[in-house]
Amino acid sequence: MAPPEEDQFPVGMKVLVVDDDPTCLAVLNRMLVQCRYDATTCSRATVALSMLRENRGGFDVIISDVHMPDMDGFRLLELVGLELDLPVIMMSADSSTNAVMKGIKHGACDYLIKPVRMEELKNIWQHVVRKKFSGNKEHEHSGSLDDTDRTRPTNNDNEYASSANDGADDSWKSQKKKRDKEDDDSELESGDPSNSSKKPRVVWSVELHQQFVNAVNHLGIDKAVPKKILELMNVPGLTRENVASHLQKFRLYLKRIAQHHAGMANPYGVPASSAQMASLGGLDFQTLAASGQIPPQALAALQDELLGRPANSLVLPARDQSSLRLAAIKGNKPHGEREIAFGQPLYKCQNNSYGAFPQSSPAAGRMPSFSGWPNNKLGMTDPTSTLGNVNNSQNSNIVLHELQQQPDTMLSGTLHTLDVKPSGIVMPSQSLNTFAASEGLSHNQNPLIMPSQSSGFLTSIPPSMKADSVLPTSQSPNSLLGGIDLINQASTSQPFISSHGGNLPGLMNRNSNVIPSQGMSNFQTGNNLYLVNQNSMGLGSKPQGVLKTESTDSLSQSYGYGSNPMDSGLLSSQSKNAQFGFLHSPNDVTGGWSSLQNMDNYRNTVGPSHPVSSSSSFQSSNAALGKLPDQGRGKNLGFVGKGTCIPNRFAVDEIESPTNSLSHSIGSSGDIPDMYGFSGQM
Amino acid sequence: MDYSNLRRQAASMKKGLFDQGHLDEQFRQVEDLQDEASPNFVEEVAVLFFKDSGRLISNLEQALEKYPRDFNRWDAYMQQLKGSCSSIGASRMKSECMSFKDNCGKGNVEGCMGCLQKLKREHAILRQKLESYFQLLRQAGPTGAATRPVM
Repeated sequence: MAPPEEDQFPVGMKVLVVDDDPTCLAVLNRMLVQCRYDATTCSRATVALSMLRENRGGFDVIISDVHMPDMDGFRLLELVGLELDLPVIMMSADSSTNAVMKGIKHGACDYLIKPVRMEELKNIWQHVVRKKFSGNKEHEHSGSLDDTDRTRPTNNDNEYASSANDGADDSWKSQKKKRDKEDDDSELESGDPSNSSKKPRVVWSVELHQQFVNAVNHLGIDKAVPKKILELMNVPGLTRENVASHLQKFRLYLKRIAQHHAGMANPYGVPASSAQMASLGGLDFQTLAASGQIPPQALAALQDELLGRPANSLVLPARDQSSLRLAAIKGNKPHGEREIAFGQPLYKCQNNSYGAFPQSSPAAGRMPSFSGWPNNKLGMTDPTSTLGNVNNSQNSNIVLHELQQQPDTMLSGTLHTLDVKPSGIVMPSQSLNTFAASEGLSHNQNPLIMPSQSSGFLTSIPPSMKADSVLPTSQSPNSLLGGIDLINQASTSQPFISSHGGNLPGLMNRNSNVIPSQGMSNFQTGNNLYLVNQNSMGLGSKPQGVLKTESTDSLSQSYGYGSNPMDSGLLSSQSKNAQFGFLHSPNDVTGGWSSLQNMDNYRNTVGPSHPVSSSSSFQSSNAALGKLPDQGRGKNLGFVGKGTCIPNRFAVDEIESPTNSLSHSIGSSGDIPDMYGFSGQM
Repeated sequence: MDYSNLRRQAASMKKGLFDQGHLDEQFRQVEDLQDEASPNFVEEVAVLFFKDSGRLISNLEQALEKYPRDFNRWDAYMQQLKGSCSSIGASRMKSECMSFKDNCGKGNVEGCMGCLQKLKREHAILRQKLESYFQLLRQAGPTGAATRPVM
C-alpha cells in the first residue's frame, strides 16, 4: 500500500466506517473519498473489529454507528479504545442529549448526528492528531516507567521494607523516586523525549494498573481525580494525562462490566463453597464479595464479554460496577479459558505486576478447606497463618484489580495470577483458569472489593477483620478483589484466605483463612501476583487492590519456607493491594497494617506502592522474603514507552505462568486485549 | 431529441419533490457527491435506499405483529430506518419515523400503526417519483445526469 502521505495529512488518512445501514455507508464513503481520505466501509461491527485487530496500524480513525445489530456501537467503541486506542467517532440518527452524552462518556472522540455532512467529515482528522499528540506526550513522560519497572529488583524491597511503615511512606517514595529516576535516565526507551512524532503510549502494565487501582481505591472511585491519582501512584514519568485517559477507560470499563453483569445471568456454576456464592446470582457484589466468592463464571463471563467472546454464563452481580469489575477481573470464570483472561495474565506474569490484582480472593469458592470459609474466608481467625492463604487471596485480589482495570484484558490477566498457589495449597496450576474451576469463588476472598466503597477501607479495616469473608462490601473497596480472589481460589483448593479477612488494607487479609501452608504455595507460584491477598477470601476487608503479584513472590518464598512470619506481613501488604486495583496507594497500605512491618518486602509488592515498576513490585517483595526471583514478570509490567505497541493495553497475555493455556485460550495476544501490553511485547 | 427540455422537466420534477417536502437538503449533498468518478451515484444510492428501507419496513411490520407492545423493539427498528431516511434526504419519511418513535415513547399502539401506514405510503410515493426522475435524467442524456440541474 502506498505510504501514507503524512506530509499531506490529512490526505490519505485511513478511516474505517462501520454501519449496518448501506445507504449511509455509501454516502459516507463517497464523502470521505471526496475529502481525500482513504475510506474503508464495513457493515458489521464484528468484522470491523477483527479487521482492526489484524491490522493494527491500518486505520487512523473509526466512525461507527451506535445502533447495530451484531454489536452495540458503544461496545465497539470501548473495545477499540481499550485495545487499540484509536479515536472513535460515534454516529447516530438519534440526536438526543442523552445519547450524545452516552457516546462521550464511553470515550467517543466525537458524536455525529445523521445525516452527516461533508463539513463535519472534513474535520475528523483533528481527532487523530489530538490523540496522537497526547499519546506522544504520555509516552514521553512515561518512557521511563518501563525500565523502572523492569529493572526494579529486589533492592527496592529493602527500601520499601524500611519505609513500609506508615510513616515511611515518604522515605519510601523518595527512595523509589531516586531509583526510578536513575532508571529513567538510563532507560528512556524511545530515546528521545523530545521526539513528538510518534511516541509510544504509556503501557499500562499490570503493576501500573494495580497502582492505579490502588490509588483510585484509596481516593474512592467517585473522588478519584487524575491529579490525585497521579500523586498517589507516584510513578515517575507518568503524566496526569496518562492517568486521566486511563481513568476514563477504567470508568467505562466499570460501567460496562456493571451493565454486563446486569444483563447476565448469574450462572455461577461453580458451587461456591459457601452459600454466599449462591447469592451471587443476585448481582450483589457486595454479597458476593462478602462471601468472598466471585463466581469464576462471572468473571469468566465478564471476561468473555470483554474479549468479545460469548460469555459463558458468568454472572457477575451487577450490583456495583466496580465490584463487578473486580469480579470480572478475578476471572471468576469457572471456565478455564475465561479465567485466563484475567487471571491469567497475572498468573503468568507471576512476576508481573499482576500482583496488582488483589487476588485476595481467588475463587471464592475455592477454599474448600475452609468449609466455613465464607466466614472466615479470610481466615480472619488467624492472621498469621493466613499468610499462606493470603497469597491466594491476594492473587485473586490482584486479579480483580487487574480485571477492573481493563475490561477485557483484565480478566484474562487476573486469572492467571490467581494461580499462585502456596506451596501447601493444592492449587492446580491451572487453577488460574480455574477460576472457574475453583468452584466458585468459594473463596471469595474478596470477591470484589469494591473499591468504590471507601477509599479508606484499607486503613480502616481493623486487623481483626473478622472473617469478613466476603469482601466487606461496604468497606472494602476491595471488593474488586473479590473477583480476583476467585481466581486464586479456583485454583487452589485451599482457602485462600487470605489472611486477613479483609482487613488488610493491603490485601493482606490475614484473615485467617489463609491456608496455612497451602496458602503459601499459592503464592509461590511465582506469580507473586497473587500478592497475598489473603484476603482473597472475601477479603472483603480490604483486599484492596490487587496486591501485585510481587508480593506473591515474596510470599511464596515465605511460604516456601514455611512459615514465614513475614507472610503475614506480606499478606497484609498484599491484601492491601488485593483490592483489585483499588488499592490505595501503597503507602497507605503499609500504614495500615502493623503486620506489614514485617512485610516490608511485601509492601513493595503491594504494588502500587512502588511506582517502580510493576514488575519490581513482585520482586521487591522478594527482597524481603528472600527475594523472589524475578519472574520476569517485570517485563510485563508496564512497558511504558515501549513503544509499542501493545495496542491493547490491557492485554495481559504475556503471562508465562502455567496458566498460559488460559491466556492462549483467550486468544493469543491478538485477541486478548493486552492490558499490560504484555502480549509478547515485552 | 430535446435534451434540454428533458432536463428541464427533470429539474422541475426535482424541484417539486423538494417543495412538497419529499426531499431535503441532504439529497443535494448526495447529488454533490456525484462526479465523473461516480456518475450515477445518486441513483445507486437511491436504489440501495429503497431496497433496504423496504426490508426494514417489512421487518417492522412483522415486529409489530410478533411483539405486540414491545415499544423498545419497535423503536429500535425504527431507529435504523430513520437513519437511512436521513442519509438520503427522504424528508417526509423521516418525519413519519419520528412520529412513530414518539408514539412508541408514549406507548400508543394505534399511533404507531398509523405512522407505519403513512410511512409505507410515503415510501411508495417517493420511490415512484424518484424512479420517474431518474428515468427522465437518463433520457435527458449523460450530460443531464452528470450535471446538477438548476433548481
